[in-house]
Amino acid sequence: MRQVPLEILLQNAEVNTSWIKTQLRARLEGRSSLKNLEPCLFAEEGSPVHGDVIEFHGPEGTGKTEMLYHLLARCIIAKAQGGLEVEVMFVDTDYHFDMLRLVTVLENRLAQGTEEMIRQCLGRLFLVSCSSSTQLLLTLHSLENLFCAHPSLCVLILDSLSAFYWIDRSNGGESLTLQEMNLKKCANFLEKLVTQHHLILFATTQTLMQKSANSAEGFLPSKLPHETDTDYRPYLCKSWQQMVTHRMFFSKQCNSGNSKGFTVVSCHLKRNQIVKRSFSVAESGVQF
Amino acid sequence: MSQIRHGLGLCSSPSLPVEMVVLRAGLCPGLTEDMIQLLRDNGIRTVVDFVSSDLEDVAQKCSLSYKALVAVRRVLLAQFSAFPANGADLYEELKSSTAILPTGSPSLDQLLDSGLYTGEVMELMGAPGTGKTQLEALQRVQVQRVFNIYEVLRALQELRDRLSQQVLSSVGPLKVVVLDSVSAVIYPLLGGRQSEGLALMMQLSRELKTLAREFSLAVVVTNQVTRDSSSGSLKPALGRSWSFVPSTRVLLESKEGPWERSSTQRAASLAKSPRQPTGIQVELDIGNGDMLEPSLVTPTEGL
Repeated sequence: MRQVPLEILLQNAEVNTSWIKTQLRARLEGRSSLKNLEPCLFAEEGSPVHGDVIEFHGPEGTGKTEMLYHLLARCIIAKAQGGLEVEVMFVDTDYHFDMLRLVTVLENRLAQGTEEMIRQCLGRLFLVSCSSSTQLLLTLHSLENLFCAHPSLCVLILDSLSAFYWIDRSNGGESLTLQEMNLKKCANFLEKLVTQHHLILFATTQTLMQKSANSAEGFLPSKLPHETDTDYRPYLCKSWQQMVTHRMFFSKQCNSGNSKGFTVVSCHLKRNQIVKRSFSVAESGVQF
Repeated sequence: MSQIRHGLGLCSSPSLPVEMVVLRAGLCPGLTEDMIQLLRDNGIRTVVDFVSSDLEDVAQKCSLSYKALVAVRRVLLAQFSAFPANGADLYEELKSSTAILPTGSPSLDQLLDSGLYTGEVMELMGAPGTGKTQLEALQRVQVQRVFNIYEVLRALQELRDRLSQQVLSSVGPLKVVVLDSVSAVIYPLLGGRQSEGLALMMQLSRELKTLAREFSLAVVVTNQVTRDSSSGSLKPALGRSWSFVPSTRVLLESKEGPWERSSTQRAASLAKSPRQPTGIQVELDIGNGDMLEPSLVTPTEGL
């Protein structure tokens, strides 16, 4: 298929979307694989692949954010330095992103961590902060053009998806539909973005509620084994839950005095494969 | 109920919260009264409705120009969505705007990896009487008494407006904001209609974090502690949702000396940090040395 120059594509982007999409798909054929991103994190070989939606779930202080920095570093470091050299879009919903921490991780991982090299790595990172679920939805819509213009932008990180949960619940009043409306729209649009632009989505969700001891577990159909072991009580909308392909549960190891021990239980939902791994966090980031 | 909704509306971002924006003529160039009417007849009333719709579909149903609709959509998105920044640019900006503020207590500075970092929220937790209030009286020159969540939110909003307009104060630029204590303003809201109280708490946390980030301030909050039922260790009050909010958390405990009835010795341990391993502990003496000029310290219930 004849490849039309990118500038022409973008000028006409809004006129004929389906034609644009065909052109872009052709470009994406040559996209690099991310299966070496972090083999330890996935229950099966060859993961992740484009189109995967990976959820990091866990209470506070269990290493989710550190794992994101680890993956981020793996992505944005140049191939010559052992990284994957892909671009990443990081959506921050609660002003949690710590640039200085990321730079420390990069400095520790680059053989000669010069300022110029750090800047080059950071040049592959795009950051956006959203202050409400509505702004998140609108921002995701506006990011579509960015994905079109940057074919090497193939990883989308969302930290966290649960940041607006209580505010949305309160704004929605008595109606569950209204309460979940924004997040449902975000989830649906995220699915569209992931599919159309062949992205890999990592999203964190916080454990905001305790799993009640005598909840109506008997009524829930097909309880997956991981859900009974971990402190997981699904509370986000069905649209989100149904699009997740991998769910990872983070927890702190309970050894007394061991402040660096963390555990992640990684589940491939469709194949029902589970693997449990331990990791620690050093100055250079996550270490398995 | 209406008071809470009002509170939430009052304290969103300075411009009108995007949820509430109904399409009206003049909202953006190209959005005419006629267009609005046609859109409304087809169920499209707000910015979100418009942006989420399939414009090819809308053009057909409303007999409007597809190109015109696309142009309006582009402008609306530019106006209401957040703008992405490049990591390299952001890093440059942070290098120049981030400051590390010494607390005046060398041991506490050691615990915090040199001091209070601007752009972050730091939480000091401890039982009553452990010295939280004495410790966090840093360069506090302005003390504002506030008595409930709405006053706190309003005060923060006013602070934001002042900082946006860069109103210069005679005592120099504001670098630290202290909220003593967050548990005092939030506790009355929890229990009862759970989600509304939690929504207000999250609204407050957003305000504090936005302040810290946008204006490069160090925000310090004090909180009570409770005992975890399963592990028996001390954890911050206000529950799980709050626990995610601060970047750094320091636990203050009394060190009981058997020979003194009321000791000024305290142990400060790092419970959460983006930079340092947790668990490290230092000793503080709030009697002297580690306490700051008493004349600046006035125990208050608010900012």
